[in-house]
Amino acid sequence: MHDGISFEQLGKPALVICTHPFEPTGRNIARALGVPDYPFAMVDHPIGSRTVSELRARARSAFAQGVGILAW
Amino acid sequence: MTITLVDPGGRGGSTNRTVAPRLADLAGLRIALLSNGKANADVLLRETAALFADEFGCREACFIDKRNAGRPALPEHHRQLAEDADFLITAVGD
Amino acid sequence: MPIDDLARTVEVEDDVLGAIDACYERGWSDGLPVVPPEQSRVEAMLALEGRPPETMLAGHPTTGRECTVLAAAVNAVMAGCLPEYFPVLVAALEAANGPEYNFHASTASTGGSAPLLIVSGPVVRDIGMNAAGNVFGPGNRANATIGRAMRLIVMNVFEMIPGVSDQSTQGHPGKYCSCIAERAERTPWEPLHVELGYGEDISSVTVFAGAGFCNVENHGGNAPEPILDCIADSMASLGCITIGQSVVVLSPEHADIVASTGWTKADVKQYLFDHAKQTVAAMRRVKKYVPREHERQGTVDMHRGFGAEDILVTVAGGDAGGHSAFIPSWSRTRGSVMQSKPIGVCIDC
Repeated sequence: MHDGISFEQLGKPALVICTHPFEPTGRNIARALGVPDYPFAMVDHPIGSRTVSELRARARSAFAQGVGILAW
Repeated sequence: MTITLVDPGGRGGSTNRTVAPRLADLAGLRIALLSNGKANADVLLRETAALFADEFGCREACFIDKRNAGRPALPEHHRQLAEDADFLITAVGD
Repeated sequence: MPIDDLARTVEVEDDVLGAIDACYERGWSDGLPVVPPEQSRVEAMLALEGRPPETMLAGHPTTGRECTVLAAAVNAVMAGCLPEYFPVLVAALEAANGPEYNFHASTASTGGSAPLLIVSGPVVRDIGMNAAGNVFGPGNRANATIGRAMRLIVMNVFEMIPGVSDQSTQGHPGKYCSCIAERAERTPWEPLHVELGYGEDISSVTVFAGAGFCNVENHGGNAPEPILDCIADSMASLGCITIGQSVVVLSPEHADIVASTGWTKADVKQYLFDHAKQTVAAMRRVKKYVPREHERQGTVDMHRGFGAEDILVTVAGGDAGGHSAFIPSWSRTRGSVMQSKPIGVCIDC
């Protein structure tokens, strides 16, 4: 979250992907960094122990949300 | 009679910031990927980037693995990613 | 500058039970009742600190929140500290400030660590800390309240709130308070504060982002190797092993046995590093093998940490009992590195 919002300060948008359990933390950090409504994509948890096909499903979800986050 | 309690919070905190303008068109844009170094983070980022490639003809222009999920990437990493690409994809989680 | 100009204040009824409730209502609590931070108590806490109350002691890089001398004093009052404990807390905050300790990730992570404070030197006796029986347990006001003040600062000042910004999967009881003292008179080697480079009369505090406590039992060993093999085995257990640092607290009984044949503290650290290891095959079998971490070690097997210097060894506990302790680091990588500061020595004053 910190990286996404810091990157945005350079004038280009970011798609931050966050697993569901980290949503409260993500929102809190975005609030702390002064962007309380910062949009980000949420996908199923976890990442580290999943297969490539399971990660592809998460990527599809991130992509679907990400188009709306990056482009208006 | 009253007593005075002192608030235990510190000082400082958020000042409102703005984010970058959104993109008008994703076609053919360059993607920067920033991994936190956790297991499979690179796979998730690349699979997501591949979908932007298939749908909009985007391409991966740069990839940085910051190798430490506990700290923000270095400012020079952010600058390099922003110089080489039009938007960033990064991920938080385990 | 008067306190009213530096911090918000709240007027409540002059009723101690009502004031405790008022603190609960405002979320100023770790779950246990706090001492209401009444202004005169805060002023008494500040009286022993030479620097202005607005002086910044530690910052939280992500929330941008800063812990000033005043905020530390308010939380110290709430934790139940006496004013003479305050320099220990101040030094601990200064030690943990900065990217090496990493106040954000170590308090936000699923790993659920607690800042473990290890105090060494004459201050232990001066303020009546407990370095003997139950050193990690209850019963001593200094140990309990200095450690608790650190937790209250993490929550009240840095806003690392369980379930919101603190994502600990399970946490551990040390997140209420983790503060121990080295037992100098039962330490066969030079005390920690001298090992760190401070004079005999200068005390130190070390801050370590520690995970849950592991008790190491051995009542049969009568030479260094049987004792240290048990500790190394705990350090190397498949659940615990990472490239992180370690804290080893030898009981006096174990320390006597280990030192009885002339082993130095450096020998102990080297032995523990050499023996706290797993084969690559074992690490692969449990899906914990990370080649780039192993490359950083440059060893045949996967060891705990990068070398003997990554293991802090101290002595504390009661006279009787073959029980030592190993405390693993929070991070599975090197997200936090333990930091030390002298106590009551202000470089800028």
